[in-house]
Amino acid sequence: MSDAKDYIKPELMACCGAREIRDHDVVIVGTGFPAMAANIAKHTHAPHATMVQESGVIDARPLRPALSVGDPCLNPGAAMIGGLVDVMGMLLQAGNIQVGFLSGSQVDKFGNINTTAIGAYEAPKSRLPGSGGANPIGSLARRTLIIALHDRRRLAEKVDFITTPGYIDGPGAREKCGLPAGTGPAVIITNKAVMRFDPQTCEAYLATFHPDCTIEEIRANTPWDLKVAPGAGPTEPPTAEELRVLHEILDPHRMIRIYEQRGYV
Amino acid sequence: MSKVVSMKEAISQHVSDGAFVYLGGYICRPPSAAIHEIIRQGIKDLTVTRANAADDFDMLIGVGAVRRFIATFLSLGVYGLGRCYRRSLEKGIPHKIEVEEYTNLSLPMMLLAGAMGMPFVPTADMAGSDLLKIRSFMGENKYRQIDSPFDGRPVVLVPALTPDVGIIHVQQADEDGNAQIWGIGGDCQVGAMASKKVIVTCERVVSRETIGKDPSRTIVPAFKVAAVVEEPFGAHPGYTPGFYDVDFGIGYLYQQASNTVEGFDAFVKEWVLDLPDRNAYIQHYIQRFGYQGFKKLHAKFDYGYPVSYAY
Repeated sequence: MSDAKDYIKPELMACCGAREIRDHDVVIVGTGFPAMAANIAKHTHAPHATMVQESGVIDARPLRPALSVGDPCLNPGAAMIGGLVDVMGMLLQAGNIQVGFLSGSQVDKFGNINTTAIGAYEAPKSRLPGSGGANPIGSLARRTLIIALHDRRRLAEKVDFITTPGYIDGPGAREKCGLPAGTGPAVIITNKAVMRFDPQTCEAYLATFHPDCTIEEIRANTPWDLKVAPGAGPTEPPTAEELRVLHEILDPHRMIRIYEQRGYV
Repeated sequence: MSKVVSMKEAISQHVSDGAFVYLGGYICRPPSAAIHEIIRQGIKDLTVTRANAADDFDMLIGVGAVRRFIATFLSLGVYGLGRCYRRSLEKGIPHKIEVEEYTNLSLPMMLLAGAMGMPFVPTADMAGSDLLKIRSFMGENKYRQIDSPFDGRPVVLVPALTPDVGIIHVQQADEDGNAQIWGIGGDCQVGAMASKKVIVTCERVVSRETIGKDPSRTIVPAFKVAAVVEEPFGAHPGYTPGFYDVDFGIGYLYQQASNTVEGFDAFVKEWVLDLPDRNAYIQHYIQRFGYQGFKKLHAKFDYGYPVSYAY
């Protein structure tokens, strides 16, 4: 039996991600939070969800948490394995992916994500890995879920470089540049809160705050004038069932703790 | 006619200074042994490409072998940012490489266009992002944007890539070059098909008859292949399904070493320059980490599911 209070912040965040996934969704996942969240959903309310990795794997059945989207544990047991052209060029590009899961070194109020460079592109203060699959996933998945650290450095009024478009500079911008209608970021899940996007302004607002956080603290750690949803309440803690799945099936060694070292506390 | 040669011969005969090289793999089956040989031969001014580059590209950049990188991403995975990549772009050490940035959708599509013999391909991503605001050595030819002649909607066009040589590591190939893989494909097949010629490195050389037992697994036909190298453990520290696991231990050593230029140089000396070939590399690995450490990487034995192509 899991004690309902027995959870760490990354587990709460993974549960927040899981709750965004609906049954029968096709979810393109990265490693860490995304894979964990999708797996929680699959073991609870979304048993018919299908997980896909950009490297070419469809419906993997890994026996341990994957450490990368190319991890060897994704191979045995999968329903289908192809490559990037199959998953990105066909399934994603043709509109078959409902949910994309991304994290970013820098995320702004319109849900734009920077994973390219901090500072000027030509003379970067910190050179980051680049787009990888992030740009196409954020461009073409129906709903993008974003994971970020909640501080004034990681969240931004405006990112230094738009690697992956969120709502770009506001309403209508995605459609204007040719991105498919009805796509875009749905939520930003941080270590302090869940933020959603106002359909009128496309700006992220506070939807729920995590149990040990206050609205004041969250607003102080957000670099834009964060609006608060009327009646915004605390984030629902992981349920006993979600924790059972996490602790007994998905992550018995609690490898997710590495995210605590990365600041997700 | 057998195309089986040593790695030394394959690289010296088919990879020259200034060549445009596709290097396959996606953590799964990177051609690490071939990359080490490129470094040993001191080949310079390369243009390199693959979606999702990792420690192998970082090392090539660190030794100064790369002039241009047609890129989507470079990181050390769980070990974070590529140290040599950062030093090159932030500080010009050993020199600043030129980077043309794409994504894990657009770049494989560019290889697909090359494989199809088409001049370009439309891609549905990158629109609205700053990736369209930066152009490096490809200039105007990085991409074009047009209104589709079919529905009038804006569409991004990206050019075909046709590397001079593609290098892929596979599970097995016959001596003529018919190359077979299983497991995660990345952009390996389109990369090989797009290349003017292909070097196949493999865990084992098998007979043409064995290839014919399961022909659906062949990703490149022999006539595209210029050289075959039998190089067991050739993807280490990446993995090859059915043969060995990812080596996170050496991944960590590389991260720690490459934190400094001196550490990186010492790592390359120990694991590449001071070792004449892959056999010596395996011997060195066993000396450093013991036979048990080496054995631990090996995949568990698994009775294969008998695939039937009977009729």
